[in-house]
Amino acid sequence: MLKKIDCIVKQTKMDEIIQCLSEANVGGVTVSEVKGFGLQRGYTGDKKKVTKAELLPKVRIEIIVEEEEVEKIISIVQQLAQTGKVGDGKIFVLPVEDVVRIRTKERGELAIK
Amino acid sequence: MVSKDKRTPYEMAVQQLDNVARVINLDEGIYKKLKYCKRQLIVSIPVYMDNGKVEVFTGYRVMHNDTRGPAKGGIRYHPDVTLDEVKALSMWMTWKTAVVNIPYGGAKGGITCNPKEMSNSELEKLTRRYTSEILMVIGPEKDIPAPDVYTNSQIMAWIMDTYSMNKGYVVPGVVTGKPISIGGSLGREEATGRGCFFVILDACKCLNLFPEDSTVVIQGFGNAGSVVAKLLQKEGFKIIAVSDSKGGILNTKGLDTQKLIEIKKKNGSVVDYRDGEKISNKELLELNCTVLVPAALENQITEENASRIKAKIIAEAANGPTTPEADDILHKKGCFVLPDILANAGGVTVSYFEWVQALQSLFWSERDVNLKLRDIMQRSYKEVYSIYCDKNKKINMRLCAYALAVSRVAEATRVRGIYP
Repeated sequence: MLKKIDCIVKQTKMDEIIQCLSEANVGGVTVSEVKGFGLQRGYTGDKKKVTKAELLPKVRIEIIVEEEEVEKIISIVQQLAQTGKVGDGKIFVLPVEDVVRIRTKERGELAIK
Repeated sequence: MVSKDKRTPYEMAVQQLDNVARVINLDEGIYKKLKYCKRQLIVSIPVYMDNGKVEVFTGYRVMHNDTRGPAKGGIRYHPDVTLDEVKALSMWMTWKTAVVNIPYGGAKGGITCNPKEMSNSELEKLTRRYTSEILMVIGPEKDIPAPDVYTNSQIMAWIMDTYSMNKGYVVPGVVTGKPISIGGSLGREEATGRGCFFVILDACKCLNLFPEDSTVVIQGFGNAGSVVAKLLQKEGFKIIAVSDSKGGILNTKGLDTQKLIEIKKKNGSVVDYRDGEKISNKELLELNCTVLVPAALENQITEENASRIKAKIIAEAANGPTTPEADDILHKKGCFVLPDILANAGGVTVSYFEWVQALQSLFWSERDVNLKLRDIMQRSYKEVYSIYCDKNKKINMRLCAYALAVSRVAEATRVRGIYP
């Protein structure tokens, strides 16, 4: 079973996370700059809700791995992205039906190795 | 059950039902029905012992209720097993499966015997003959046994084999807690501890307690206790004391659960852990901590020591660690008790998953099992806690869990009606 790990993290944490993921032998990552709000609602101080949501920039890192690898990857990202304050981000895990490597037509697990 | 109490376990179970009936205004007719067990089967089990002589044991299988689905409950082998106790435990299983809202009723079984003095072949003969004697009342769509005190996956395998041989085809869904090789579920071994871990996290969130500032004391380092310790430590909690039957070990700076598990495996006890001071099981319960997990025996927290307990949360991984008198004292003190029927329902929940997988002959990954378990535990916690809030926190979480469970069974009874 393949899973997608979708991480929304602080921009400042990205380089270190990418480096560690590479060392952990993930097949690849996709990174994009995104904006959004969560509990923080755009507020940059302590945990305090404001009524009007402001969008703050974050980085999204998407990784496709085999199910057995999921917990390992989560703990890498979690440890590196955590500051303990609101706005650290979120990690989502989703099922992936199939993967195709365009160059070789390989499918499924073969396509991410 | 409660040792000092003169009431029998079944009388106490009925008393518990009485208390809940008052809280939820239970219909009198339904109360009457729920008070009794649907079926009680007593069998004698002759066994050729290794010395060539015949011994006859007494076995029981009691079904308390199957209104919400087939009955479910363990089988225990113990010298103190009585019909009265099995009846009480079967009623208790009805509530437990209802709290977590899995489609089961409640049952329990047992054999009055001393498995510690029996050989493997005697145990096999005992198990197979007992299974044959209760064959007409068990089955994947009727009543599904599971392991309990002094019964294990090997015994479940013998039950499955005996049942299948008698039927003439393989029936993996007749029993749960089987070895993986014949249809056991991944994650079953850790399920009780993991379920307890999930409700502890939920409780901490409700009480605004953070893992990094929280300390944990665990009584009992067996299957449930060691898993709770391992998972909580991973989450950032500090495990300051653990114990087993030989005694306890304390280090306020924190213990290394991985080392404890290794030492327990190698030497049979956690007391050989070096980096800590030895304490007794009794002292351990009264330590200053955030979360106390009784994961050993019944009746550990009593009216005698309840007032000295300092934990903010008590998560009952064991069955019946707190006496009713202690419950009242703890509630008045503001100690938040996660009751056994909720806190250790992870075991029966993954048993349910094992049965579902057996019926569909399609097996899930361990991750899948653990995630589904988390969903059920979190949902159940939320439902019990919302009753607790509705009642303005005036009744304890145990009564709330029972209220939820009995209401579910009562509603199922009402809507099905009394036959004919």
